Amino acid sequence: MGYFKNIADSVSTLITGMKVTMGYFVRPREHVTLQYPDEQWPNPKRKIGVGELDSYNVIRSKLHVDIDDCIGCKKCERACPVDCITIDTLKADKGEDIGTTKNGTQKRLLVTRFTIDMTECMYCDLCTFPCPEDCIYMTPDYRFERGDNQKTEISTVDRWRNRQNLIYEYATVPPEEVERRKEAIEAEQAAKLAAAEKAKAAAEKKAAEAKPAEKENPDKPEPGEE
Amino acid sequence: MIDAIASWMLQFGALNWLGETGASLVAVALVGITLFIFVAANAIVLVYVERKVSAFMQVRLGPMRVGPMGTLQTVADALKLLVKEDIIPQFADKVLFRVGPWVILISAFVAFAAIPFSPTWVPADMSIGLFYVLSVSSVVVIGIVMSGWASNNKWSLYGAMRSAAQIVSYEIPVGLSLLAAVAVVGTLNLQELIQAQAGVGNLFHWIPIPVPNWFIFNNPFLFIAAFVYLIAATAEVNRTPFDIPEAESELVAGFMTEFSGIRWALFFLSEYANAAVVALLTAIVFLGGWQSPFPDIQGARIGMSVLAVLAIIWTFYVKVKANRLSIYPLAVTVVLAVLAWLFPAFAQWLANPGLLWIAIKGGTIIFMLMWFRWTFPRLRVDQLMYVSWKVLLPLAMINLAGVAIWMWLTGAINLVG
Repeated sequence: MGYFKNIADSVSTLITGMKVTMGYFVRPREHVTLQYPDEQWPNPKRKIGVGELDSYNVIRSKLHVDIDDCIGCKKCERACPVDCITIDTLKADKGEDIGTTKNGTQKRLLVTRFTIDMTECMYCDLCTFPCPEDCIYMTPDYRFERGDNQKTEISTVDRWRNRQNLIYEYATVPPEEVERRKEAIEAEQAAKLAAAEKAKAAAEKKAAEAKPAEKENPDKPEPGEE
Repeated sequence: MIDAIASWMLQFGALNWLGETGASLVAVALVGITLFIFVAANAIVLVYVERKVSAFMQVRLGPMRVGPMGTLQTVADALKLLVKEDIIPQFADKVLFRVGPWVILISAFVAFAAIPFSPTWVPADMSIGLFYVLSVSSVVVIGIVMSGWASNNKWSLYGAMRSAAQIVSYEIPVGLSLLAAVAVVGTLNLQELIQAQAGVGNLFHWIPIPVPNWFIFNNPFLFIAAFVYLIAATAEVNRTPFDIPEAESELVAGFMTEFSGIRWALFFLSEYANAAVVALLTAIVFLGGWQSPFPDIQGARIGMSVLAVLAIIWTFYVKVKANRLSIYPLAVTVVLAVLAWLFPAFAQWLANPGLLWIAIKGGTIIFMLMWFRWTFPRLRVDQLMYVSWKVLLPLAMINLAGVAIWMWLTGAINLVG
């Protein structure tokens, strides 16, 4: 009888299995597959217990700068413990209006370079607190994609090149503008220097004219010594 | 059918130079090419359907990227296989390695020659059609052993040996279960087998439920024989749960391990051609082939209405049991029923025998094969032999004897041939 029981058991269990698969087949799609780039899981809300500071409780995946709001104060650069932020600024021309930030502050410095090296960043969030304009902050973007189909050059020789796609430049001032301003400033400084030298030369001349009279006394040997 | 095409071609003056023999040859070529296109398209469509069915049964999505809903995925796969490098292992038997896949494909392909697709559309209407199909599909095992041996790979050889043992074992239940159906009619001609299944009668001749006169409803033994055939045929075409010749977890890919590119594509083509042959043969022998389930216009109307009522009951059942609305079966059947009542031409079309019905029946059987594949666990080698020799073979033999006794008792011997 074990033989027939075996067959009956097999048939009944197989039918049970077929019911399960058919149940999933006819059910409206309750799939768990996510069509990844098109749809993503929402980022989890995070509370790590530091009060109600919203900016601290955000998922920290990528540092971002609203460069239009940056006044070039370099407070974040100084706050960074790993020196992953590099800022260069140039003074605006006299009387030139280079815009205001969203807080209404008049910008006085042109930010010609704002580089964040995401390979060095340690996501400590320390740079976001000193910022007077709230323009540097952490975003939950964990994908770090460039959007320009740029292939990452992988070099086994030059490790530095492997990082190039993760060094983000936020400054938007075109290089020729920077060049022009630098030249203008250099010219101004050269003019200043020339003026200063001229003034110095004039001063020296004046001093030289005045000196001989004064110098005669100390240079002269004591009559008694000779 | 070859003769019909040949004489049709000779009606045109421009083709008279062919002569009778030439016209016949051209007709054979035309039919062969058509069938080959059918086999290729069949594989491409079935691979896509199989991937989708498996995905839905496993709560996945399946291919979604290439084309709308991933419909062009298998086309892309086929193109990829065609342009791949042709690799033959260094110590392989070069000749057998090249010939093996073709033997498998051809043996699967020529079986289509005897399959009747409609009352008139049968490539070769032979008196031993069923015998022919069984014979040529057994040649597959030679190709499998050739490929497995030629690969010079232990996994391939294991796969080939397993396959040989399996196919030889399961040939017997297949033959005996089909023989039960043949015993009812007394012919091996597939067209005559189908013609004997026309009309509507009582279930098993004495239960007063009107069902089509298909052999699966002819008597209880044939009902069992249909399932014996389906199980044994699944094993014969090496599909899960009987896929030990290519068991991935044990043998890499069995006899296909060393093959790549176009040769591997041939294996795929023949696998799905085999599945189609099995499905069509089940439909022909047990489900009435191209016969419509409805005898006439009135029958089509009543049949579609019964289906619509069943769909309504099903919808209520699902609504009560699982609290969700399954609207599609209801909508489709109700629309079809209304159309059948409104337009006599549509009802007539439904009642006509033809390609539509064999396609629906074959498609259902292929879906069942996929359903088996994505539900059942694979059998061990000894379990496989147990199922064949100790379960299916006695069952098939009892069925054969039972059919004979049943016919003697009921006097329902309706010999056609």
